[in-house]
Amino acid sequence: MKSEAAEIVFKKKRERRRRLAGLPFEKKIEIVVELQKAAAGIRKDPRFKPWEL
Amino acid sequence: MEKTLQVIEEMIRLGIIKAYAIGGGIAATYYIEPVLTYDLDVFFLPIYDFARGRGYAEEAEALIIEGFPVQFIPAYNDLVREAVTDPAILTYRDVEAKVVKAEYLAAIALQTGRSKDRERAVRLLESGSVDRAALAGILEKHSLAEKLKNIEGGADEK
Repeated sequence: MKSEAAEIVFKKKRERRRRLAGLPFEKKIEIVVELQKAAAGIRKDPRFKPWEL
Repeated sequence: MEKTLQVIEEMIRLGIIKAYAIGGGIAATYYIEPVLTYDLDVFFLPIYDFARGRGYAEEAEALIIEGFPVQFIPAYNDLVREAVTDPAILTYRDVEAKVVKAEYLAAIALQTGRSKDRERAVRLLESGSVDRAALAGILEKHSLAEKLKNIEGGADEK
């Protein structure tokens, strides 16, 4: 039996992914760099440097 | 990144590589939501096919091109070779580059089969960017149809 509350959360996640998937490629690359910066902020590793666009 | 893409295109014009298509996380990002990645993966066909026939080893090379780490991955099997010779075109800041088609990206992910690849395949299928008939043909040709059934049977809805 599925949880209705969980279903709502999963539905919102799917919607957010769909919205992000529809962004222009240039904007997506900017988000990739933001993700890289966020990851670098959590764990510094010289092998994984955020890109400079 | 546009300069990086221009340099890769230039490699074809100069005859350094015969064909290429962007794969991996950046190709996935083209079709689905952005994913964390640090390399621009480029599948390529070497200009000299005879090298493989003569038993010379093909080694992947990571190069920094215009500030971006580019992982050059020789097309390592028939599926990847097919993906490289039948790419889609992406445009980044007015620069056109070849990218692995969504159907091939899903098939390669299914073939590779790590957990992140399986997840990528599911995301691609959910995104609507995959032509299911074309994918079915590719999977049939490369004996991967069963892998899709396993994914769809086990895919959760999150």
